[in-house]
Amino acid sequence: MANVITASKLTLAYDGGRKEIIKHASFSVRKGEFVFITGPSGSGKSTLLKSFYGALRPKEGKLTVGGLDMSRIGQSKLLELRTHLGIVFQDYKLINEWTVEKNVVLPLIIAGYSTDIQQTQAKKLLRHVKLTEQADRYPLELSGGEQQRVGVARALSKNPFLILADEPTGNLDEYSSNVIWDLMENACDQLGSTVVVVTHRIPTIFNIPYRHFIIENKGIYEVR
Amino acid sequence: MKSVRDHLMFLLPLLAILLGVEFFLVFNRVTQSSEEKLRESYSILVVSKKAMSLKDFRRIDPHIAEAAPIPKARIAKEIARGMKNTPDREILAALPHFYNLHLDRYLSRKDVEKIRQKLLAAKGIKKVETFGENHRAKYNLFLFLKIIFWSFVGLMGLVSIFLVVKQMEVWQMAHRERMQIMEIFGAPMLLRSGVLFRMGIVDALLATVITAGIFALLRYYYAPISGIEILVDRQALLFELKDIAILGGIALFIVISAVLTVAVKSRGPRE
Repeated sequence: MANVITASKLTLAYDGGRKEIIKHASFSVRKGEFVFITGPSGSGKSTLLKSFYGALRPKEGKLTVGGLDMSRIGQSKLLELRTHLGIVFQDYKLINEWTVEKNVVLPLIIAGYSTDIQQTQAKKLLRHVKLTEQADRYPLELSGGEQQRVGVARALSKNPFLILADEPTGNLDEYSSNVIWDLMENACDQLGSTVVVVTHRIPTIFNIPYRHFIIENKGIYEVR
Repeated sequence: MKSVRDHLMFLLPLLAILLGVEFFLVFNRVTQSSEEKLRESYSILVVSKKAMSLKDFRRIDPHIAEAAPIPKARIAKEIARGMKNTPDREILAALPHFYNLHLDRYLSRKDVEKIRQKLLAAKGIKKVETFGENHRAKYNLFLFLKIIFWSFVGLMGLVSIFLVVKQMEVWQMAHRERMQIMEIFGAPMLLRSGVLFRMGIVDALLATVITAGIFALLRYYYAPISGIEILVDRQALLFELKDIAILGGIALFIVISAVLTVAVKSRGPRE
């Protein structure tokens, strides 16, 4: 099966290359996989995820996402790639001045879909994440769990080939976390999206042996 | 309410800039017109032994635009009135040639003096009268008004630009998060800053219409009854249709520059 993400001797760094976070890491993620990347706080999990959507360029080595070389990708190609990704953040990153419905269809707005399609898709997604009643409310009027469900709905709105989740349940209670994990698993199983989740620990809900990478001493290792 | 305040915070400095620009345009037209009037009413008197043409004078100095001979007969008559037994004809023959010279523009006292020296150095010219004192007083007043006005417009422009920059910072604070989220999901810059562009363009149009409206009212309703000679005679000095294009162009330029600056500054971090 084709790889969605391939890293070869990848080095990631901040401060103009002075502060190395990941060094000479090689790994790959196949199409349709559900992958966990874990590691202690400050180990570089979020940094690695940022490099997958191009917010951080590799210092050395090669990283390809969806077949695109992330070291050489131009701004317009990068923006286009991002329209095919679903990204979920620990702090939700919702637009507080927009309604829940508008937040959910942000990727469709960016892609220039008609209002009719946006509305139909918003209804479907909000039903899916059980937030139909909250469609006209604003993010700050919702609980953390509900906001994260909006975040997941937004990530799914354009059937992305790759979903990246950065500590998606970091701020949530156990019940809300389980709802989010269910939604992510469904996205992988039913939509066929590849899902990469970075988190400090794998939730107990997961009994299925998904592939699991751990970040340690700037290296990335597969846990078997 | 918040939206109205957001608009006003940008609209007011933009309005101040456009009012400054329009004042500048009007003042420029008024000064040009006054300059023209001063130029027309100002002349240099030249007394020459030989007859001279405009070409001869222009050879001495290219600023000389007109050379009108003063009829000798009139002067001869004046002189003859005080003299007995001298026929006009003899006086006429003894008289030199008199010329009134007009310049192509209203020159400074120094430049007029240079022309005087050149004329005096020319062969045949006996006397040159530039009416220097009269000229200097008018010219200095004119220059003073120009400097005062430019300083005022410059200061007004600086304060307004400062206010626009401040408003851009407010915009950046208010919109940075939204723009960064949109960028993460792949929105191009124009889409990310669409709200600001729409708001800015509306403000630019409003500021243009208000400024043009004020000056159009002044032209059509105030100028005819103002009692100010130059405005009564030439109402178009206060407002011309092309001013709308100039004001609109400047307003749009400011808006586009401001929004692009905010959009670039609000881009997500790049490492």
